[in-house]
Amino acid sequence: MRLFIETIGFGIFSGSLISLGAVGFTVQFAISNVLNVAYGAFITLGAYFGYWLVNDAHLNFWLTVPIVAIAIGALSVAFNRLLPRPLLRRGASFVAILIGTVWAGITLQYTIVSIVGPSTFTYALGNGKTIDLWDFVLTNTQLIIIGGTALLMLGYHGLLTRTQLGQAMRATSVNPVVARSCGIRIDRITDVAWLISGMLCGATGVVLAGTVSTFDSTLGTTFLVYMIAAAVLGGIGQPYGAMIGGLVVGLTTQLTAAYLSPAYEDVAAFVILVVMLLAWPRGLFGSAAAAGRRLVG
Amino acid sequence: MSADNGHVLRIEQLVAGYGDTPVIRGVDVEVPAGKLVVVVGPNGAGKSTLLKAILGLVNITGGEVMLDGRPITRSPLEDLARNGVGYVPQGDAVFDSMRVRENLEMGGYLLDKALRAERLEQALELFPDLRHKLKRYVGTMSGGERRMTAVARAMMLAPRVLLLDEPTAGLSAALTKMVLTEQARMLADRGTAVLLVEQKAHAALEQADWAYVLVQGEVAMSAPGREVLEDPDMGEVFLGGGSGLLADAEPAG
Ligand SMILES: Nc1ncnc2c1ncn2[C@@H]1O[C@H](COP(=O)(O)OP(=O)(O)OP(=O)(O)O)[C@@H](O)[C@H]1O
Ligand SMILES: [Mg+2]
Repeated sequence: MRLFIETIGFGIFSGSLISLGAVGFTVQFAISNVLNVAYGAFITLGAYFGYWLVNDAHLNFWLTVPIVAIAIGALSVAFNRLLPRPLLRRGASFVAILIGTVWAGITLQYTIVSIVGPSTFTYALGNGKTIDLWDFVLTNTQLIIIGGTALLMLGYHGLLTRTQLGQAMRATSVNPVVARSCGIRIDRITDVAWLISGMLCGATGVVLAGTVSTFDSTLGTTFLVYMIAAAVLGGIGQPYGAMIGGLVVGLTTQLTAAYLSPAYEDVAAFVILVVMLLAWPRGLFGSAAAAGRRLVG
Repeated sequence: MSADNGHVLRIEQLVAGYGDTPVIRGVDVEVPAGKLVVVVGPNGAGKSTLLKAILGLVNITGGEVMLDGRPITRSPLEDLARNGVGYVPQGDAVFDSMRVRENLEMGGYLLDKALRAERLEQALELFPDLRHKLKRYVGTMSGGERRMTAVARAMMLAPRVLLLDEPTAGLSAALTKMVLTEQARMLADRGTAVLLVEQKAHAALEQADWAYVLVQGEVAMSAPGREVLEDPDMGEVFLGGGSGLLADAEPAG
């Protein structure tokens, strides 16, 4: 019983990290109809930037998170303007743009490797106090991350539902032509969306790298499978789906690791992804109409 | 709101299409303020492409689009919207995953709060059926309700020129009549320049001040609506003979 509850606790922590990254990933798809596989490499980039700030510049970890978030957010906007947007303008197909992001991701990852080398890295952070609530054993860092993610997701919900900008983001995502005919400058809306998703990506990179024992340049690409599984589980393009999908993937992979073997953790995420794609490609929260239109049109 | 305040959309020798072969091949169209101008023609004639060309959504290789005498050829759609050009595309013209109220609010995205509320009220007067459905998600509504939402959304900016692409597709005969006579006609009577593409040629031509028959990307006939309706040749355009234009006519009464 103790193992079970501990695993649930760690699953929730791991799930909130996956949610954080998956929402960013799914926003790009919702707004630009782009499956940006380079997202994983951007996570890695954020992890190393954070490593430099924490270990070499001796910056406080909690200050590092927003700084890296802003940096990766800005890079994400620039990336969209350089690659997906011009390709979309030229009428490139969904798959062509997907391949473009694969190429960009590989290029970025190998650039990182050529700079940092093949060894593994660890953030110079204390172990943190462990808090034992019933049988939930989590460090205070992990608890802050869970709480922070929950707050960010609430904030994102508020943005989407309570602000005009958020409404315009939703409108652009459902029907860009009609959004434009409302006078909405959708290029600005997509810039904002790529900024937000890049910020989530950067934050995920730092928080992930800061809470694993060691990491290397494959950190983001491995984690990408978890995030895509979460996004597809929740219905690709659906922010709330990605939030819940992240929790489900986190819990499933941690239970697999605890009760089968830690070696199967990545496999579990992959199995969720494949099963969802084969049996239920629209995801739990994706509407048929939306999925069809986005993937086809 | 006089019908004679000079706003006009004019298209001159427009050549446009998707790739290299033009779909629209040298078309002239004029839509004056306060007039309902209808474009009819068989499937694939290029009617939707004509509207998209006006809105800069397809590749234009020749000719001009003028609004009030100024060239707007290839202007981005969002700029046109800001300059008084409204558009209801064919088929998918709403934000499905949003509520009716949100659809209308998006229509008034550019307005300040007070004006948006005022226009929303006006839109609901135009489409009273929507008043009790403001909270409904448009994706869950009927075809007719979705069309009403789409047209009401386009009215939020009080456009001087309104381009409607088959707003009656899939609507019952009664609703079609309502959309064409009460809405398109009434908007024109209030001073809007309305360019309406219609499959239901008979019903549309009855209301039209002027009509263009588009065949294979060219204007085959340009005349007052009634004249097109009575032209024996025009039947051929639609059904290859006989009374094609009357195909959608309702029994009198
Ligand atoms: N996105 C596109 N890419 C390439 N060709 C297209 C595209 N859309 C339409 N066409 C072609 O352009 C021509 C005119 O199409 P358009 O949609 O303008 O016809 P339409 O008159 O509106 O027909 P309908 O009454 O069926 O709506 C057709 O031959 C069509 O195949
Ligand atoms: Mg059409």
